[in-house]
Amino acid sequence: MWGNPDVFTTVLQVVYGIIHDLGIATYIGGAIAMEYVVGPAQNSIPPAQSQIMGQKTADRFLWLVWGSLGLIIVTGILRLDKLGHISLTSWPILGSDMSLGHDYGRTIWAMFALWCVLVANGLIMTFYLRPRLAGKLKAGTTTAGVQASMQVKMEAAKWVGRLTKADILIAVVIALFGASLRFNGLL
Amino acid sequence: MDSVVAWLHVLGWAFYAGGPITMEWVLRYAQRTMPPSQVAVVCQKAGHRYRWFSLAALGLTGITGIVLWLRLDNADLAGRPRHPRMSLADPYGRTLLELAIVWVMLVALVSLMAFWLHPAQARRSRPDMPREEIQVERARVGRALKRMEIVLRSELVLSIVALGLGASLHAGGLF
Repeated sequence: MWGNPDVFTTVLQVVYGIIHDLGIATYIGGAIAMEYVVGPAQNSIPPAQSQIMGQKTADRFLWLVWGSLGLIIVTGILRLDKLGHISLTSWPILGSDMSLGHDYGRTIWAMFALWCVLVANGLIMTFYLRPRLAGKLKAGTTTAGVQASMQVKMEAAKWVGRLTKADILIAVVIALFGASLRFNGLL
Repeated sequence: MDSVVAWLHVLGWAFYAGGPITMEWVLRYAQRTMPPSQVAVVCQKAGHRYRWFSLAALGLTGITGIVLWLRLDNADLAGRPRHPRMSLADPYGRTLLELAIVWVMLVALVSLMAFWLHPAQARRSRPDMPREEIQVERARVGRALKRMEIVLRSELVLSIVALGLGASLHAGGLF
C-alpha cells in the first residue's frame, strides 16, 4: 500500500472510512445501548436516583450524538470527494451519478434527507425537551405548580422516548442505504 | 440480497462497537455520581442485558461476514479501488484474515465476561457466613470487578481496531 503512487489518496480514504464507520457505530450502537441496556438498568434503582442517572446519561449521550452526526456528514462528503462522486475543488460540484436520475444519487440524497431529520430531532431534544426535563422547582412553588411541572416533565420524557425510537429506526434505514451504495444504491 | 446481508453486517458491527463506547463514555460517567450499592445493581442489570446483545451482535457479524466472504470473487474485487485480490499476498486478503482473528478474540472476551466474570461479580456474601469467609468473598468480587474493567477496555480497543480493519477494506485493505 505504501509503495502505491496514490498512497496519500488511499490513506485519506481509509482514514475517512474509519472515522465515518466509527461515527455510524457510535450513533446506532449508542442509541440502541441507551434505549435497551442503560434505560432498563436505570429503572431498577429508586426513582429519585433514577432521575439523576437519567439526566447524567442523557446529557453525556447528547455529546456523542452531536459528535457522531458531525463526523458522519463531514467524512461522508470527504469520502464522496475522494471517490470522485463530487468535487470540492472544481465546478460543477456534483458528479453526473449524483443526480436524481441515478440509483446512486437518489440513495445518497435520501440518506442526506434522513440525516437532516436526525439533526432536527437532535435539536428538538437538546433545546426543547431536555431543558423541560431538567427544570427545577423554585422554593415556594404551590401544589398546583408542582403538579403542572411534573406533567410537563412526564410529557417531555414521553416525547424523548418516542424521538429516540424514531431516531434508531431512521439510523437503521440510513445504514441500509449506506450498505447498498457498494452495489450502486437501493432506490 | 447482497445489500441486505451487508446491512445486517453493518448493524451488527454498529451495535458491537457503539455499545462499549456508550458504556464507557456514558454509563461509567453516570456511575461515578451514584452510591456504590446502586452502582452494583445498575452494573448487574446493564451487564446482564449487554452480554446477550453483544453475543448476538458478534454472532450476526460472524454469520453475515462469512456470507459476504463466500459471495466475493476476484472478478468483483477487480472492479474495486486498487484491484484487491483474495490472497494472503495482497493487503485485502491479509486484512480479512486479521479481521477474522480479531473477531475470534472478541468472541473469547465476550464469552469470558458472560460466563465467568459477570457471574463472579454477581456473587454476594450472606449474613450467616463467618467474617473471614465474607472478607474472602468480597476480595473475590473486587478482583472480578477489576478484571471486568480490564476486559471491557480491551474489548473497546479491539472493537475499534476491527472497525478500522473493516473500513479499510473499501480501500483495498490496510497492511
